[in-house]
Amino acid sequence: MFYLGVDVGSVSTDLVLLDNNMKVAEKIYLRTKGNPIKAIQDGFKLLKDKFDGSDIAAAGTTGSGRMIASSIIGADAVKNEITAHATAALEIDQDVRTIIEIGGQDSKIIVLNNGIVSDFAMNTVCAAGTGSFLDRQAERLDIPIEKFGDYALKARTSVRIAGRCAVFAESDMIHKQQLGYNQSEIIRGLCDALVRNYLNNIAKGKTIQPKVLFQGGVAANIGMKKAFENALGFEIYVPEHFNMMGAIGAAIIAKKTSEKVGKTNFRGFELANNNIMSRSFECEGCSNKCEVVKIHENNSIIGYFGDRCGKWGSNSTKSANDLLA
Amino acid sequence: MIVGIPKGLLYYKYHPFLITFFKELGAEVITSEDTNKDILDLGVKYCVDEACLPIKIFHGHVVSIKDKCDLMVIPRIMQLNKNEFICPKFCGLPEMVLNSIDNMPPTITDPIYAISKNTLYRWAKTTGTRVTHDTFKIKHAYKKAYESLINHQTGINDKLNNMKIALVGHPYNIYDNYINMNLVSKLNKLGVAVETMEFTQDFLINLEINNLYKKPFWTFARENYGFAVNAATEKRVDGIIYISSFNCGIDSVIIELIKDRIGSFPFLTLKVDEHTGEAGIETRVEAFTDMLERRIQNESNIPTHG
Repeated sequence: MFYLGVDVGSVSTDLVLLDNNMKVAEKIYLRTKGNPIKAIQDGFKLLKDKFDGSDIAAAGTTGSGRMIASSIIGADAVKNEITAHATAALEIDQDVRTIIEIGGQDSKIIVLNNGIVSDFAMNTVCAAGTGSFLDRQAERLDIPIEKFGDYALKARTSVRIAGRCAVFAESDMIHKQQLGYNQSEIIRGLCDALVRNYLNNIAKGKTIQPKVLFQGGVAANIGMKKAFENALGFEIYVPEHFNMMGAIGAAIIAKKTSEKVGKTNFRGFELANNNIMSRSFECEGCSNKCEVVKIHENNSIIGYFGDRCGKWGSNSTKSANDLLA
Repeated sequence: MIVGIPKGLLYYKYHPFLITFFKELGAEVITSEDTNKDILDLGVKYCVDEACLPIKIFHGHVVSIKDKCDLMVIPRIMQLNKNEFICPKFCGLPEMVLNSIDNMPPTITDPIYAISKNTLYRWAKTTGTRVTHDTFKIKHAYKKAYESLINHQTGINDKLNNMKIALVGHPYNIYDNYINMNLVSKLNKLGVAVETMEFTQDFLINLEINNLYKKPFWTFARENYGFAVNAATEKRVDGIIYISSFNCGIDSVIIELIKDRIGSFPFLTLKVDEHTGEAGIETRVEAFTDMLERRIQNESNIPTHG
């Protein structure tokens, strides 16, 4: 049997299948590209050829799109990213004390003590210093994001870049570039700035104790890993499936939930070919004027999201809400 | 005469006073609607860009009723307690509003020093004449208004046999459910009980304040710090959630002071701004609840002997 984890993030949608020993049997990393539903369907299309829906003993979702994902695939567990990342990290290494996770629009620090989360922090309303910012800069410099880290390693020195705000950083980078500093020095400076921002902002007041795992899409960037190691003064570890950790955690949590309940809600991979669409409308029921999202599958409605009062969502997302509790 | 009272900022704590006062004077009183998307949009449109979300929302409330009333009340709250002040934006609130919004009706902007019955009465005497010249009526209205204020109890103290958190922050962030995205009901749904500062006696709050090297300048700083620390050290709650507007200068100090004092006690800061997508706040609250749950389980697993 396999356990499915789906992490619908701002930048990427990750799908993972774990075997009975909680080892990764299959992983798929897709760009969300602003369309989480399509990303999930694309992932399912790839999985459908190799696996059968009946092989799946449990399914879990996480990431900022976890609610929508849950209603589409029929999840047994819907879990926030912090718990999912911590669960996955502890599965591969019981000794981990600190998790640095930098994703598309979130960055987090998770502090573990005796195998449980004892403290965590996330970036505030602003997404400066996260993966989407690196993505944007890579695009501007016309360097593939995968090569960003190699460029940083090539530099002998680091150019100081203002790291507090993505907009400030960008203008600082442009000024430095116009003064003649070369690209790799600027990129290394950018990595240092992000690390400085992370340590002074998100991790402020928290002691980062080894062993440290570096997870999330940004961990692919070897320049960021080096910058963290320089700042912290010790080695940090990037797990093999660093960009799948949220999905792995969701799969593990789903396994536990479905074992308790004795069944799975998973709807199978066939929905890859269904016609799933979302439409949003402004509810006129009261002055809140909530922007409600309605999800259609073929000709039936499978879910509503975004209403504050529960008038729409209570019928369809009830199961998802219950799972959260 | 129609008197308009905007439902923003400290309305949640003091509205019975204002409403009763103007009604007893014989005026018709209207308030703006609960904060909603239109009010937020109006606030963002009219208010200066640098202000915090609650101030912007107050502007929105003013705009939404300015053409429906003959007299607008913009409370210029200076002091709530002796030797303490509140956020400077409250002192300059009338100027911010009147300079940002055109075609305002006549406005009451007299400063409110709510430090004693006498100083508050002084405000009532001046503002009352805007509605009536009958001094007896003003005195009577003030009495009624004061009574309604005394009888008005705000605060949340859920009685659930479950996890409990202290919800800390400025009253308008705690009680305006649009700003905080229904935080209290979200917490209740996750099985978390909520306690707010109103149920902590003043002397307990001041006891904590005495441990600081200096008494805080701001009333909200004193109250929030004292409550949070008291709730944590007495272990009345399992964790603290501090809800704070992005940009708030006072909060930036209090949050650090609290963290400094409570050490590793679970503490979550929720920053709110114009965002209406709830995914961010949900993730943080759920993760925090998960963490508290695991911590509680873990503590109860530790054997009492060796």
